[in-house]
Amino acid sequence: MTVSIPEWLRKNTGIVIAVVAAIAVIGIFQAINPFFLSHQGRITLVYAMSYFLIAACGLTFVIMMGSFDFSVVSLLKLAALLCALYIDSIGLWVIPVAVLVCAGCGFINGLLFVKFKVPSFLATLGISVVVDGISLYLSRGFLHVITNRAFRSLSVTFFAGLPSVFYWAVGIWIICTFVALCTPFGRRIYAIGGNPTAAALCGINVAKHRLCVFTISGFLAGLAGVLYMAQFGGGSIEIGADMIIPLFASVVAGGTALTGGIGGPHRTVIGVILITWIQAGMSTLAIGRDIQLLTLALIAIGMSIVTTDRTMVSIIK
Amino acid sequence: MKSFSNGAKNGRARYLLGSVKKQPVVLILIVISVAFSICFPDRFLTYLNISSIVSQFVTIMLFALGPSIVAAMGSMDLTYIGIWMLGGIVLWRLTPTLGPAAILVIPVLGVVTGWLVGVIQVKAKIPSFILTLSLLVAYSGLTSLLSGGYPRIVRGYEFITAPLIPYVPTELVWTVPLIGAAVFIMRSTKVGTYLYAIGSNEEGAQLAGIDVQRYKILAFTISGLFTGLGSVIQFQHLGGSVPLALNLNTMVSPLVAIVLGGTLLTGGSGGPDRTILGALTYVVLYRGLYISFLSPEVLQLLTGLLLVVSVVIASRELRSVIVT
Repeated sequence: MTVSIPEWLRKNTGIVIAVVAAIAVIGIFQAINPFFLSHQGRITLVYAMSYFLIAACGLTFVIMMGSFDFSVVSLLKLAALLCALYIDSIGLWVIPVAVLVCAGCGFINGLLFVKFKVPSFLATLGISVVVDGISLYLSRGFLHVITNRAFRSLSVTFFAGLPSVFYWAVGIWIICTFVALCTPFGRRIYAIGGNPTAAALCGINVAKHRLCVFTISGFLAGLAGVLYMAQFGGGSIEIGADMIIPLFASVVAGGTALTGGIGGPHRTVIGVILITWIQAGMSTLAIGRDIQLLTLALIAIGMSIVTTDRTMVSIIK
Repeated sequence: MKSFSNGAKNGRARYLLGSVKKQPVVLILIVISVAFSICFPDRFLTYLNISSIVSQFVTIMLFALGPSIVAAMGSMDLTYIGIWMLGGIVLWRLTPTLGPAAILVIPVLGVVTGWLVGVIQVKAKIPSFILTLSLLVAYSGLTSLLSGGYPRIVRGYEFITAPLIPYVPTELVWTVPLIGAAVFIMRSTKVGTYLYAIGSNEEGAQLAGIDVQRYKILAFTISGLFTGLGSVIQFQHLGGSVPLALNLNTMVSPLVAIVLGGTLLTGGSGGPDRTILGALTYVVLYRGLYISFLSPEVLQLLTGLLLVVSVVIASRELRSVIVT
């Protein structure tokens, strides 16, 4: 079957815009600042992208299922702070503990959503406030620093000129893409995102899959938090402040529609490249965080408009 | 005669019982008020604490009024803090040229924002909570951009909160008619009835001949208007200045008030009148815990838990509804 080019373009508007925009952004910033793609510049970008991509993959699963997870940033923060606080007392066991705690919080999100019928953004918003409270209580608002070399080497060991956190991110991204595109589980998530009622009628256990996806999202947020802490070596309650909009923007900029059923982790990587490079580029041009956030929020709104297929949906609350 | 009065009493008792059943938050409010008064008799029922309760109630109520209209329609409006912040800074910019008339810019900003949200939501079909959240972040970026990086104090609007009636805070005097107007719109006008209809079943409302798109835009615009008018009072109430950094957790308190009052966020029930009770309960609980021995971190944790628990309780009737 042949597809004419205009039709292909119309069907894949989101992804085309994202790729073109990513190339344009890189080109523009490289032209303005030649150090942007130098060796050091590349490493900075890789550092900024890696943990971000892991967290974004989790959020992508939730969004392509048609829900929303507000608590990704809070869970990332909690995992990072747990590592910093307890590495001295329980050693490297802190890594599985932190990740599992976050997966547990994700499970609670899913439970609230599935069992108690709480709209997902509201359930995750509530949990994120609770988790922030826990983080604040545990950290007491102080800056916590990690000196454990074994833990730090998780992210900052260099292979072939790139830090290990990059390989973690690529590995997890490949697994997520594989799960989403090539496994029955992934296809069922797309089905639920497309139409939960129809999916249920096809015999898919919708509740179980939703629970799984929220747990995965929490798990990946926890993993991102651990790698974040290993990369930066310290942090306070301010970790990930206002990160939810860049995260969300990168998922929709990749072409995952908020209505669910479209997109996936393989696309999110383009969104992550686009968003982190816009942020990094603006930072190198000494443009403040306020304008960055303003831009990202507008990108988020704009890309949500572009990616939503309005012929398919009737009611959006 | 005796039996008649007994019957009336029975009827009234049943009516009371029914309204308590409908609004279990009344019970919670009474229980926590009594409990705190017994536990901390020397601290809870003081003038200072009660005036704090009133002032915090005003803050939450002013933020929650507009969103509770939108929530009754089944959507979400999170722009309130954004309108307040951006409005304050635009006011600071415009006051030197326009004088006191510049205060009108805040309601105008509110209406424009609400209308914009409504149009984008209806035409582009983006979930309203994520749209308004993005807009909120955009507004906070714009706020710090316009402010030049410093918090700005605007003088000349002290008349808004100048004492009018002895012992009654002027903010409350101005807030009451606003609440009244919101309740009137939702309970006694065609618009309100239509919004509840859209909230309980959008498709059904469409089939019944309601111009759903128009009324949705109208709802967001009304919400923006109330937030804008509220922000005029809020601005002076909270010290004549606005913060530059957006703290997403401050966004949560009005939501807690809305949900605690019993407005299901899936729409069709609740509304501003219910939010009054929700806000009062939340504030009494918050102040009661505040004067107890809990640390502020625990308070934040409890606020989140309260949101979760009240949402769970409010959603208990939603067994058959599809939620996303």
